[in-house]
Amino acid sequence: MDVYPKFLAENVLAEDKVVTYRLLSRALHVHVNTAKQMLYDFHKTQNEKRAGVVHATYLVYGVKPAVDLASASHNGGDGDVEMTSSMPDVDSVDDDVVPTFTLSIVAEEGLEDALAEYDEVTSIHLYSVGPLPTKDFTLLAGVANEVLSLGAEDANKNPGPISNPRMHRRERQVASAKAKTTAAAAHVKPKHEPKQEPSRLFPVKPAPAPAPAKITGEVQAVKPDSEKPEKGSSSAPSKKPAPALKRGGSANSSIMHAFSKATTKVQKAETSQPATPSGDDSSLQPMSDDGEDDTEIPQPRTRAVSDRKNKTEREEELRRMMEEDDDDDEDEEEKAESIAEEPEEPEEEVSTTEPTQDEPTEVATTSGDGRRRGKRRITKKKQIMDDQGYLVTIQEPGWESFSEDEAPVQPVAVKPKTVNSAPPALAAKPKKSGPKGSQGSIMSFFSKK
Amino acid sequence: MVTLDEIANAGLLQKPSGATPEVLERSESHYKPLTSFNLGKDLQYQQQFADIYFLRLTKIKPAVEEIASVAWDGTIIGGETAKKVERVLDVRQGELCWVTGTVYMDMALKPNILEDVSKDRWISAPTSVDRYYSEDGKDSVMLEDDSGRIQLVGDVLKDFFMVTGCIVAVMGTENANGEFDVIDIKFADLAPQPGRWGLSKPPAPVPKPSTKGRRVTPEDEDVEMADSPSSKPGTKIAIVSGLEFSGVDTSYAMELNLLLEFLLGEALDPAAQKEMAQISRLIIAGNSIAAERKGFGESTTDKKSSKKYGYDSSTYNPLPSHLLDGFLSELLPTMPVTLLPGVLDPANASYPQQPIHAAMFPKSRSYVAMPGATEPGWLDTVTNPWEGEIEGWRVLGTGGQNLDDVFKYVDSDDRLGMMEAMCRWRCSAPTAPDTLWAYPFQDDEPFVMKECPHLYFVGCQPEFGTKVIQGPDGQMVRLIAVPSFSATRELVLVDSETLDVTRIKIAV
Repeated sequence: MDVYPKFLAENVLAEDKVVTYRLLSRALHVHVNTAKQMLYDFHKTQNEKRAGVVHATYLVYGVKPAVDLASASHNGGDGDVEMTSSMPDVDSVDDDVVPTFTLSIVAEEGLEDALAEYDEVTSIHLYSVGPLPTKDFTLLAGVANEVLSLGAEDANKNPGPISNPRMHRRERQVASAKAKTTAAAAHVKPKHEPKQEPSRLFPVKPAPAPAPAKITGEVQAVKPDSEKPEKGSSSAPSKKPAPALKRGGSANSSIMHAFSKATTKVQKAETSQPATPSGDDSSLQPMSDDGEDDTEIPQPRTRAVSDRKNKTEREEELRRMMEEDDDDDEDEEEKAESIAEEPEEPEEEVSTTEPTQDEPTEVATTSGDGRRRGKRRITKKKQIMDDQGYLVTIQEPGWESFSEDEAPVQPVAVKPKTVNSAPPALAAKPKKSGPKGSQGSIMSFFSKK
Repeated sequence: MVTLDEIANAGLLQKPSGATPEVLERSESHYKPLTSFNLGKDLQYQQQFADIYFLRLTKIKPAVEEIASVAWDGTIIGGETAKKVERVLDVRQGELCWVTGTVYMDMALKPNILEDVSKDRWISAPTSVDRYYSEDGKDSVMLEDDSGRIQLVGDVLKDFFMVTGCIVAVMGTENANGEFDVIDIKFADLAPQPGRWGLSKPPAPVPKPSTKGRRVTPEDEDVEMADSPSSKPGTKIAIVSGLEFSGVDTSYAMELNLLLEFLLGEALDPAAQKEMAQISRLIIAGNSIAAERKGFGESTTDKKSSKKYGYDSSTYNPLPSHLLDGFLSELLPTMPVTLLPGVLDPANASYPQQPIHAAMFPKSRSYVAMPGATEPGWLDTVTNPWEGEIEGWRVLGTGGQNLDDVFKYVDSDDRLGMMEAMCRWRCSAPTAPDTLWAYPFQDDEPFVMKECPHLYFVGCQPEFGTKVIQGPDGQMVRLIAVPSFSATRELVLVDSETLDVTRIKIAV
């Protein structure tokens, strides 16, 4: 209790600081009212030793004569006359003068004058002591800020003179930490799932057959090994949906666009293997490796994907996709594609683009040696200077002759066109390759990235 | 007149006695906020504003017509009986009649949306004029409903406050110029007033058994009061507005500190602290953060040249919100706070302003209710306007924009009168959406006062004012114009039993 004279002497007399009752209260962990009395005692004893060595400010609270406030509250009344008089049945209750209390800080030197302004002082105490007379009270604000920082450190030790047991705050730490982890977990999953959802559910509506087939492709692409046990069961039916898919694909090419990547992959895998016209039976074996389980796949696939990949993988994947592109569909296909890359021959993808673009406007003949020659329609850009000296760029259609010798392209790309003229040996194949050609355009878009 | 001798050796002007000061307990605040002005999450801004006027007219018209028909039915002027006319367009020239509609003020200085549109200005700038009212008398008053519009003339119009959007009934005749010569005007008057404790439960009048024995001794009474507020008149609600914590202007920083000490109960002597402990809640009615004041030589165009993305400390000063946060976090452990946004605060600009987001208060936000919580938070950041029940009284409060905008329409400084008029129009923001920016409501018009509040306060006003108005059915409303603290250094205490007002001035 008696440390305060020392504390105050150090701070006020030695360090020339201003000490308020709050600062003293916080520093010595005493009640604010005790601190006020300490200030008073210090002020009194020091000035008894040597007058004027310590200067105080007082906080005065009380009632001042009600001149100004009466006029203030009646200001409203004056302008109000018209309104109230025009309101029938209504009496405006004119309030008696509102009691007004004034709280003010006064320096020791001006205390007498300040008190003279008061009608009644209900409370007075020392606010601060300092080595110099306080001229500018805003300086005290600096001390108050010091109190704030002090108070922040040990708020619990100094609850203040008025406590409030009803105070409640939310448990932020616990709740937010929990929320964070669950959010993180939830974050990954939903992000993952919705992406699969469209691919899984969407095809079901337009054509049941294409859906399984297409998913087969994806499954095969995403996780060739993990699927194996489940695949074995339905290896046989796998081949049949595939042709159906192709037919449906060419008809509803718009729907199939979304899945073109995976779809074409499957088809390519299929078409490359059943090079023999015997088709269904012979393809059964190779398909069992990667393309089966057409009907069952939807569920296993999602389950397997989400189960197999651990969280970090998924997050990694998510992050990568975020970086690359926003479009879910694209990402989906891209992902499928990138994983599926190995089983396919990469050059196929590139080659498929050309036929698609050229098809409508090209005339081609297939020579016996496997080369394809012909003309295709192209748009040429031409820049000429006109008679006024301006450069004009014009686009004009023209024909360009070409000859291609990439072997893999031929069966894939040329077939759609040559179906009619029909090399009869490959009767089954054109059907398959048809949709592939039309869908190749989107695929090529992704493959180039 | 107080002299030094009188105060000598008063309470705290003596040596520390060593006695342990008693710890006071703050009175409980009975508080039930309403969500009348909360907008939903999925807001559409595609719709037109006309629905607000339609809804307002639909809601208030029956009340106006009831009052008007009582007053005017059978009124005979010049041998002619006043007839009720359903629509504005049904008014016939020369016939004495009365009709109800929405007032529209045509004023040259008033911002006009049609002008903006015709000039291809798609973003209207905030208006810069202080008043829409002009002295030249060219302003005209019109009455409109969904059928049409008619110009009102007559000296009687000058006796009333008239702003766009209020619903009135007028009696008179259409003159040769096609203007409606008004003889008398009626408003809806105060809405039905709910009883006290209409929404929340009053505190149990029975004191706790454990304290009963001790209550017998009168000395203990003050301490025990806090446990049973109902037994004692005089828990207080503190209302303050315009704290305007500023990053540059420190001229009232000390006053803000004193305000904090006052509310905390750290200042003053034990007797006064006991009174302070009766302050059960603080309401901050807008403008907690000061407007950014541009220094000289600084212009917005200079800043645009160096465009920087993200946090730019040269264009953003976090100090004001930091100070406000500090103020609140000091106060909250002992006192619940209701925080309304004002025109300067970081909330949306259009009425109704939505609560200031808790993220603005890193230190105080743990007192804010969790999203979706049913209990109001200890720090309750609410809408502006805001409606709720405090200590059983229905309270309606705003951050002041509604009154400031009405003020621009009329040639008067009687802000209390305008507050009264708003109550009698039954509309807390009549000038929305014409000149007071507002959300284009579709299904509800929340500014219509369906129920008359007991306490209606408007924050951020130039000076303090209060009065009590009475309604035809015995309603009594305490109106308080809460002054801006940064300008007047005043705060208002409202007694929770009598709704009497005390004013505290802080002078340095």
